[in-house]
Amino acid sequence: MREKLAGLWGRSGTKAVLASLISIVIGMVVGSIVILIVGMTNSSLGLKSAWEGICLVFGGMFSTGRNAAGSLTFGFNPTSVGNMLFRATPLILTGLSVSVAFKTGLFNIGAPGQYLIGTAATLYIALSIPTTSVPAGVVWILAFLGGILFAALWGAIPGMMKAFLNINEVLACIMTNWIAANLVTWFFDGSVLCNAVESGKTGYIYKTTFNGVETPKMGLDILFPGSQVNGGILIAIVLAILVYILMGKTTLGYELKACGSNRHAARYAGISDRRNIVLSMAIAGGLAGAAASLYYLSGNTEFFWSTYQSLPATGFNGIPVALLGVNNPIGVIFTGCFMSILNISGLQLTNLTAYNEYITDVIIATIVYLSAFFLLIRGLLSGRHKKTEKPAGGPAPTEEPKPVESTNPGEGSEKGGGEA
Amino acid sequence: MTFLIQQTLIYAIPLMIVALAGVFAERSGIINLALEGIMIFGAFVGVFFVHHVQEIGTFAAAKDAGNWIALQGFAILAMLAAALFGAIFSLLLSFASVNLKADQTIGGTALNLMAPALVLFLIRILENQNTIQMAEGDAATWFMIKKANFGYGRTESMGFLGETFVNRVYLATYICIILFIVLSVILYKTRFGLRLRSCGENPQAADSLGINVYRMRYTGTTISGALAGLGGFVYALTTANCTANGDVAGFGFLALAVMIFGNWKPLNIAGAALLFGLFKCVAASYSSIDINGDGVFLLAQIGISAHLYRMLPYLITLVVLAFTSKKSRAPKAEGIPYDKGLR
Amino acid sequence: MLHITKEFPGIIANDDITLQLRRGEIHALLGENGAGKSTLMSVLFGLYQPEAGEIRKNGEVVKINSPNDATALGIGMVHQHFKLIDVFTVLDNIILGAETTRLGFLQKKAAREKVLALSERYGMKVDLDAKIEDITVGMQQRVEILKMLYRDNEILIFDEPTAVLTPQEIDELMATMREFAKEGKSILFISHKLNEIMAVADRVSVLRKGKYIGTVETKDTDKQTLSNMMVGRPVQLEVVKAPAQPKETILHVENLVVPSKGHRKNAVNGVTFDARAGEIVCIAGIDGNGQTELIYGLTGLEKATGGTITLCGKDITHCTIRERGANMSHIPEDRHKHGLVLDFTLEQNMVLQKYREPRFQHMGIINGGAIRSYAQDLIQQYDVRSGQGPVTIARSMSGGNQQKAIIAREVDRDLPLIVAVQPTRGLDVGAIEYIHGQLVAERDRGKAVLLVSLELDEVMSLADRILVMYEGELVGELDPKKTNVQELGLYMAGAKRTNKEGASA
Repeated sequence: MREKLAGLWGRSGTKAVLASLISIVIGMVVGSIVILIVGMTNSSLGLKSAWEGICLVFGGMFSTGRNAAGSLTFGFNPTSVGNMLFRATPLILTGLSVSVAFKTGLFNIGAPGQYLIGTAATLYIALSIPTTSVPAGVVWILAFLGGILFAALWGAIPGMMKAFLNINEVLACIMTNWIAANLVTWFFDGSVLCNAVESGKTGYIYKTTFNGVETPKMGLDILFPGSQVNGGILIAIVLAILVYILMGKTTLGYELKACGSNRHAARYAGISDRRNIVLSMAIAGGLAGAAASLYYLSGNTEFFWSTYQSLPATGFNGIPVALLGVNNPIGVIFTGCFMSILNISGLQLTNLTAYNEYITDVIIATIVYLSAFFLLIRGLLSGRHKKTEKPAGGPAPTEEPKPVESTNPGEGSEKGGGEA
Repeated sequence: MTFLIQQTLIYAIPLMIVALAGVFAERSGIINLALEGIMIFGAFVGVFFVHHVQEIGTFAAAKDAGNWIALQGFAILAMLAAALFGAIFSLLLSFASVNLKADQTIGGTALNLMAPALVLFLIRILENQNTIQMAEGDAATWFMIKKANFGYGRTESMGFLGETFVNRVYLATYICIILFIVLSVILYKTRFGLRLRSCGENPQAADSLGINVYRMRYTGTTISGALAGLGGFVYALTTANCTANGDVAGFGFLALAVMIFGNWKPLNIAGAALLFGLFKCVAASYSSIDINGDGVFLLAQIGISAHLYRMLPYLITLVVLAFTSKKSRAPKAEGIPYDKGLR
Repeated sequence: MLHITKEFPGIIANDDITLQLRRGEIHALLGENGAGKSTLMSVLFGLYQPEAGEIRKNGEVVKINSPNDATALGIGMVHQHFKLIDVFTVLDNIILGAETTRLGFLQKKAAREKVLALSERYGMKVDLDAKIEDITVGMQQRVEILKMLYRDNEILIFDEPTAVLTPQEIDELMATMREFAKEGKSILFISHKLNEIMAVADRVSVLRKGKYIGTVETKDTDKQTLSNMMVGRPVQLEVVKAPAQPKETILHVENLVVPSKGHRKNAVNGVTFDARAGEIVCIAGIDGNGQTELIYGLTGLEKATGGTITLCGKDITHCTIRERGANMSHIPEDRHKHGLVLDFTLEQNMVLQKYREPRFQHMGIINGGAIRSYAQDLIQQYDVRSGQGPVTIARSMSGGNQQKAIIAREVDRDLPLIVAVQPTRGLDVGAIEYIHGQLVAERDRGKAVLLVSLELDEVMSLADRILVMYEGELVGELDPKKTNVQELGLYMAGAKRTNKEGASA
């Protein structure tokens, strides 16, 4: 039994999960401390309110509102679970998007832009093909694939800039994000797709249900009554599994990972690093596009089109989802759900207390910050273990200390020299 | 023309100072992707400071008496506050990347996510609204230098130079320019500057000569944080009428692009910032730019969509990067954590 | 230095080492790669803190916690990898860390005069305003030496200073070192080259695997004794091989031009040569004379802008790396940059080019089992040692075994041409012997071997034909049996050339 435990402890996967859990806990504690400080310094809020806020940070998922006496009540809330799954869908996919790029040594901070382009393409297709002549199911599929395709093309742009011009993909992604935001606004400005039927809704595009297109519920609405959940979450999970197979079991995945860990060695071996960088960014873009498609094809979400001053948070939140999931596609499913739980907590905070949902963003940022030195946390975890293992360890390396080498996925080939 | 120059400067100055912030961090070996976040934070701190000092009423008498010199002092205090908190905020980045040897890109991204979240959270909970602005009046009446201050009458002209560079400008503009020059000189002409630059190029060499790489990197990043915080507030003061809403519209990233375009050299950066400032200015106010003063708003009449103008700065950035990236030469050791044990 | 012990995780780099340096002597520190020489010197220079032992100067115990302390004690060091800032000028590099300032502003004028006086006195001319990246390696070494002199150091440490120099430059350096010794400065000279030690040192201390073996006077010893002390067993100083029997031409390179990264001049300028089956052709030259770029142009890592490359009768000048790989295997210069994906497992690295072969994949799905058994075969056949066999992460392996893994992978591709660039760099004698043996065996199996080496001993003992490269051109072709190191050195320094087209230099 002890050996079994030791074996489990020794696996790097276990350490990764532990490191993620530690990051999550620290993040939530930091959020709680902020709430506490604000509550104590602000007389209108007070300690009781701060305590309620902290309760919701940790247990917002199970909040059932306030009872007659005005205190918070908790319990299983199927609507919340359903909504959690619904919101987790795009998060899982943007998380996958970021993690695929990470595996190829690229930091895809362009998911928001890809998400917007995916949104625009999906909505345009879903609303422009009349369901009177084409079956709604076909339109749905076309819209879904169209969203993926256009987002993939958009993602390929910074990929190409990186591959052929050696421009730092982070900067290129950020610029394409803002260009996408302006493009999408431009595209919908004055468009017939703006909601002209309901009053006061011209800032929004029609829901896809306006054209009779929506994602089938696949029975999930019966499981979680009153929530927005639909079959999208199942599609997201299937996509995650496909990405897992792609990265782990195929020659394409091997090439992508080789480029990611050592672009020079990949080139040396005859693998086209440029092609793979573009491909990786295109796949990443496609996944972010899928996130947008599934979110807006649900039929009960509407898109605020004048978006040129802001970027969708879902895109950015793919970063913590991927980092927390240690870029493992299966791990991303769980961390996507976790982020979504945080989201729900944030909503409950806004609804039930004087605090607001931005505190969950603080928690997310803290988690990203912690994951920057994830390796250190993991190192500490394994360091404790190593001490007991050392005497039996393998032959000592005879080499003198190696030169500094990059161990982080985001570094990749960037350090070669003159890169923009 | 006067309008064009003034507007361009308004955008160029924060870009310039924040790009210099990037230089100080990167020359010491730390990629400061968090410039955007630090700007957001600095903008918030500065505006918050102005708002609450106004509420206390410290400068109310000066305002009523028309004592514009005291009001400029008020603006400088706010700038100092923004710089101070920007520096403190940037310690998060230094700590992660120097002490913990973290991935600097991710660390910077974390700060970029953190800043708007924290700022919006605080604004919402402290001010109960979505933005924070001045408690009374606007930036122009409180902080702008006007010809009336020099005894000119409403209809008197100060001449082209006076109208352009003295009337209706912010002192912050000139403080930033002076700061920019002073810091550039420090970077190139002092022992500190020489040592700082050596840490970004070859920290192993610097260490072997007895230079404390960790301390240098902390110093570089802290200066960077202070400048970015300051730049954030100057941005909020001059372009957003002294309001903060947890957003600077990608300005920090534009500054990074300016820094790369300027090849990490102050003089080139100043030029690049002016160029970008011009584009930003065109994008922001193309409809009201009257280039040759004949009452014809040329840019608005060409019939190009407003959306295109707004997209322009980002597009140009990409194009410029595409053309300059092959030649550009980043500090060699930037982004690589320095570990004393490994050499 | 008394009883110095320094440990790294899992390895004791210096185990109870005592070293005494007299005033005005040249003291050599001899040992193989990885014997702990550099570590010991880093301790003396304050870069590492020892776990045990003490350092005394003039009888007094001193604490050296940082290079600052070392400098204050008059200890200076020329590192094996120069500690210079490429984009700074020579003067800036010399004064860095020891600047004279007024109000924080640099005062360069006095510094310039002092450096000029020093360079005058020791005959070491340098252009103070040139940038480091624009001057030759030999010049850079002068800068390093001037750095020590500028700080008025009395104890000078030279860590493998000759590796980057031509034989003639080495002679100059030795003369300078003797000059310093005559003035009463003490010199620690680290090397694994016996000739140089015998030529210049007064005494030699030998280290082996982190342990102190002994100190001898050079006049009382000879090369063979020293070499036995260093390795711990009698060493084959020469490579045993039969005369080459060259057959058909495998590789023909005609007028190859490869542009340079940093400079306007071409890194490789009109190079023409052949390599035939069954011979080892060696390209000799000082580092940075275009060898790296020549190989890049040949293997496709860099685009050639002129000339043709014919491999096995096929023009491959414009082929991709993968297409060239059909007939050429490549043991790269930098095993960490090109040779291995360090974060991959050993087995993943073993199939770096082969993963697309039908036996390892079907319709794009990788056959993990086939890769595992193939890797196990190679590991056994080539005796690659690692902690966990095929699933060991390459990063965790020792340098020698990483290189063995690359050799195994490349040799097993069984292609007509083997390109090997500095295949033995940084390895210990055992690994070097092994790799030399492999290359000779492949030659005898009828392969063409193109070897690039900076080590003259390696060139002389392994090559069947020597091509000397200088400033991007081939300046001479020599027969190792009919030439000597001195002559080779003249070619390497550009002082002599035999080829017909390159008349003007």
